Amino acid sequence: MPPVGLDNLKHIVVLMMENRSFDHMLGGLMKKYPKINGLTGNESNPDMNGTMVPVQPNAKFQGQLDHDPDHHFPGVDLQIFGGTPPGPGRVANMQGFIKSYATQGTGINASHAIMSYFPPERLPVLTRLATEYAVFNGWFSSIPGPTICNRAFAHYGTSFGNVDMNLFYIQDPIQSIYERMVQAGHTAKIYYYDQQSSTMEIVNLLKNQPRIFGSYSQFIGDCKGNTLPEYSFIEPCYNDHPGPGGGQILASDQHPDHNVQEGERFIANTYNAIRTKQELWETTAMLVVYDEHGGIYDHVVPPACEADGKSAPADKTGTAAPFNFDRLGVRVPAILVSPYIPRGTVVPGTEDPNGRIFEHACIPGTVTNFFLKNYDQRTSREKNSNNFLAPLTDILRPDDDCWVFDV
Amino acid sequence: MEKKYKLVAKVPKTPKSAYDHGRFISSLIEHQIKHFHEIEKSLLKPGQELTDITKIKTELQASEYLKKMTALLHPQGAEKPRRVAPPRKTRKRAKAAKSKGKGKTKSRRGKRKSR
Repeated sequence: MPPVGLDNLKHIVVLMMENRSFDHMLGGLMKKYPKINGLTGNESNPDMNGTMVPVQPNAKFQGQLDHDPDHHFPGVDLQIFGGTPPGPGRVANMQGFIKSYATQGTGINASHAIMSYFPPERLPVLTRLATEYAVFNGWFSSIPGPTICNRAFAHYGTSFGNVDMNLFYIQDPIQSIYERMVQAGHTAKIYYYDQQSSTMEIVNLLKNQPRIFGSYSQFIGDCKGNTLPEYSFIEPCYNDHPGPGGGQILASDQHPDHNVQEGERFIANTYNAIRTKQELWETTAMLVVYDEHGGIYDHVVPPACEADGKSAPADKTGTAAPFNFDRLGVRVPAILVSPYIPRGTVVPGTEDPNGRIFEHACIPGTVTNFFLKNYDQRTSREKNSNNFLAPLTDILRPDDDCWVFDV
Repeated sequence: MEKKYKLVAKVPKTPKSAYDHGRFISSLIEHQIKHFHEIEKSLLKPGQELTDITKIKTELQASEYLKKMTALLHPQGAEKPRRVAPPRKTRKRAKAAKSKGKGKTKSRRGKRKSR
């Protein structure tokens, strides 16, 4: 028998933020919550002078990473392997983050900023959700590379062999999770923030399947009206632009150098929209996850994974070696919210022999398995991915035991 | 919030100084624009001019282009025009209007600040 939490589940909501590593956002929680695989404070990286620079709890909301840290495939390779070129026997050591950032003209001192992390009290929304519900110690980006190919895994369970930012074309028979849902008589939507921010990477889908899209204000309306689809994917605002009536809309994606606090507010608003509608709250699971680490330090070595069945040639990876999609990217924050999750749940990752590994293919994998059951037209990597709804239990927490944000 | 909740956490406001629509676009937005440009090419009708995306340097310029393209592909995502609520007819005002022999209070719609 599935747990009551799963039995009552009617909606899955995924909110995908941008470009922050696990340790940068949540690493500071380990001091108070030892099960969370964060930072001891002794982790370090060498700078260009060979000086070992430790992690520092001095991350700023904005202005510290104004040179966008490199997170393209060769840059991430340097970050993970410390500069050892691809070849047999090389070992990942997570020692190339400062070296990578220093190549961007930051100067020696500014390159140390890549080791910064937020003290938990600076991120009251993300850290509260992480400690009140379930945090995943082992959720990794799907590819050691940038946004576009990583987000593709969240929509399709594969990037169709791409490791970069270029426009990709869908290859049959793989369909997006939204198309699979709709064709099977279920409901699914991608909510982009507004037309000025629009959607990321899935422009082909917007052109050919506009019915599966909505705006963030429509998401809020769907929550209020109890008309939320079974599966929703939410995109934050990706740029600063004027709002209606002379207002100002701030980017809320947390991509450097956008303000992290505004992203906190966006996460809080999205959570509140579900939390304050009782029938929705008790029947919804919300995953907050980041697409990739954005070049920012994390101490956990990305593990090997089931190959994707694709290969990116050396001229595409930029490392003089092909990539067979058999290793994950850097670890990212991932939090599952539901009143059926006990406070302080930590899903163990690579630090535990019984831990479970998650990546973005788990998103279409879990949603497909939950709503569509047996669906074959997808990669075996997606089929075999771990179920991120596993933390849901039989016990519904009392309403007075779950927080609301005053935004 | 209408309902009273026991556990409420305050979320700090973002400083107004965080806003900068003149910020240069990141590689992410640059690629987002390139993707939309590919779609624009496929939708171009004879006589129509393709947008010169090399001129898009700032987030404001990017947002204007994205709005144009998104409205074309997904007009249903547009913000609905906000309905301006008529002024509330308070008992006091209604009584005063009645005593002056007027049928209804004068609308202040023109003076309302747009939201």
